[in-house]
Amino acid sequence: MSRSNYGLVKYLFLAFMGLWLLITLFPFYWQIITALKSAAETNRTIPTFWPEVLHPENFVAVFAEASNFNALVDSFIIATGNTLASLFLGTLAGYAFARFPRQAGGENMAFWVLSNRMFPPVAVVLPMFFLFDATPWGTDSHITLIILYLVFNMPLATWLMMVFFRDAPRELEEAAYLDGYTPLRAFFKVTLPLVLPGMISVAMLCWIFAWNEYLFANLLVGTNVRTFTIVIPTFTHGSQTLWNLQMAFSLIAMLPPVILFILLRRYMVRGLSLGVVKG
Amino acid sequence: MARLEIEGLCKGWDFPVIDRLDLTVEEGEFFVVVGPSGIGKTTLLRLVAGLERPDAGTIRVGERDITALPPYRRKVAMTFESYALYPHLSVFENIASPLRARGMAKAKIEETVIGVAKLLRIEQLLNRRPGEISGGQKQRTALGRTLVAEPDVFLLDEPISHLDAKIRHELRLQFHTLEELRSVATLYVTHDYAEALSLGDRIGVMGNGGLLQVGTAREIFQQPQHLFVAQHLGQPSINVVEASLSRADGSLQFTAEAGSLALPVAGPHSETLAAHKAGRITVGIRPQHVQVAKAGAETNGAAVVEAKVEIFEALGATGILMAESGGVKLMALTPPDAEFQHGEPVKLALRNEAFLYFDADSGRNVMIG
Repeated sequence: MSRSNYGLVKYLFLAFMGLWLLITLFPFYWQIITALKSAAETNRTIPTFWPEVLHPENFVAVFAEASNFNALVDSFIIATGNTLASLFLGTLAGYAFARFPRQAGGENMAFWVLSNRMFPPVAVVLPMFFLFDATPWGTDSHITLIILYLVFNMPLATWLMMVFFRDAPRELEEAAYLDGYTPLRAFFKVTLPLVLPGMISVAMLCWIFAWNEYLFANLLVGTNVRTFTIVIPTFTHGSQTLWNLQMAFSLIAMLPPVILFILLRRYMVRGLSLGVVKG
Repeated sequence: MARLEIEGLCKGWDFPVIDRLDLTVEEGEFFVVVGPSGIGKTTLLRLVAGLERPDAGTIRVGERDITALPPYRRKVAMTFESYALYPHLSVFENIASPLRARGMAKAKIEETVIGVAKLLRIEQLLNRRPGEISGGQKQRTALGRTLVAEPDVFLLDEPISHLDAKIRHELRLQFHTLEELRSVATLYVTHDYAEALSLGDRIGVMGNGGLLQVGTAREIFQQPQHLFVAQHLGQPSINVVEASLSRADGSLQFTAEAGSLALPVAGPHSETLAAHKAGRITVGIRPQHVQVAKAGAETNGAAVVEAKVEIFEALGATGILMAESGGVKLMALTPPDAEFQHGEPVKLALRNEAFLYFDADSGRNVMIG
């Protein structure tokens, strides 16, 4: 390829990337400016690309209804509760599949766990409703969604943790046994620290999924417990949609996962460099 | 402190790896098991450590039968071939690990770890992680971890095989002088015969799932009971000639099956060999018992043959020469200043009184009962 052609390819590439960036960032831009507009301005036939007057008070107005803030708290409780449960179960199951595959049921069992995620979730909505309705706490509670989201998050946690445990050298555990540690103590002393960075990534994936889930939340909870995902549609009323408040609220709801990522990114990077140390 | 006794030990997966192995390592003895890769040396250590369960047999330390005990209750320490250092812990914490497992007081741990680190000359590395130190230092750390454990039995799995020659020698010397290692039963596994001969109070050569011969370095090198033992010890390895025995002019000689090389059997060997029923015999000739001389030079000795140089390697302190004589290739050691060319005709003077004779079928040394 000649030199000038190479330059051309480079510019085409840059142009493509620029276009791509435009397409992906535009919704965010639109979300932000809409959140800052007045209700009247959001409903114009010819949209404005920058608010005529900035309305930052929209971000306060969304909490005029106190339950909107509670929805964020409910989402937080459910996402965190589910993440802890997924990690606890997924770590134990992943360890069993990695270290004692035969006793744990082998590849078939591991595949069965994963296959639960291949199911179209909407198909089980009704049975799930009746199932949880029969429990003492009913459908409309935190625990319902915490348990229900395990259906999606536990297979993910199990499989990823299984891979991390397979990569953690077994010899290190054996060395710990010979140092005098029982299998359980060896697990906490040696194995868990090695897979911790992986565990943090799994936790983030689980948390974000549970935080953003809409379908089951919408159908199972709503009175005692409301997640933020089912609050967002409530800004649409019979005659009009309060686009500005809806966008302001969803921007606020985006903050926790972003903050979480920024906080935990450090551990993930540190974990990656730990992984390259040869046993 | 106690002796290690292994009796009738068996372990196999699809095929037997260890088959009815018996071994006793006395208290304070440094026992080296040597054998080629994949022969089951590591399996033997893992069985003693409790990381594998034997199919049959017993393992005793002193009066205690530890066969069914889990590894953490055996009072056995082991270094792994891969060192198995904990990558997320400092060198200090790695060495301290067995002490922490025991719940030793903090001050005592520090004292013990620093003591061992000084002994192994790694005290300046205590704050580093295993990823930040060299192979030799990793090995010292792994050794430190086993030393502080004060076990009844030390198991060392190829501890210095993966280090470069200089550090290997340095650590080998250290093994000679470490009191801690020399006061309990130590089982050391290696594929390197020089390491074995250098370190072992006694040496066991492993093959066919058991120990083919157990003895001091001198015994197993000079009087190998089995061809396998002779082949495994020595560098370059022993020349092996498949031959048939015959009588010529009233004295016994053997002729190589692969060619025309014929050599007389030394007097002291003749009687035993004459009684050996089968006419076929495997002859072992150590390279140091083959002297090389230039074609025209004077040579004396009973067994001198004409040969042609095929390969010559000058290695500084010595040279290794491979020559072909009567269809048989023979290795010889040459003095440091000797120089040979490819294809050069030479004379080989063989010290036939030092030859070893093995049964062609069983591989047993026919000179030893």
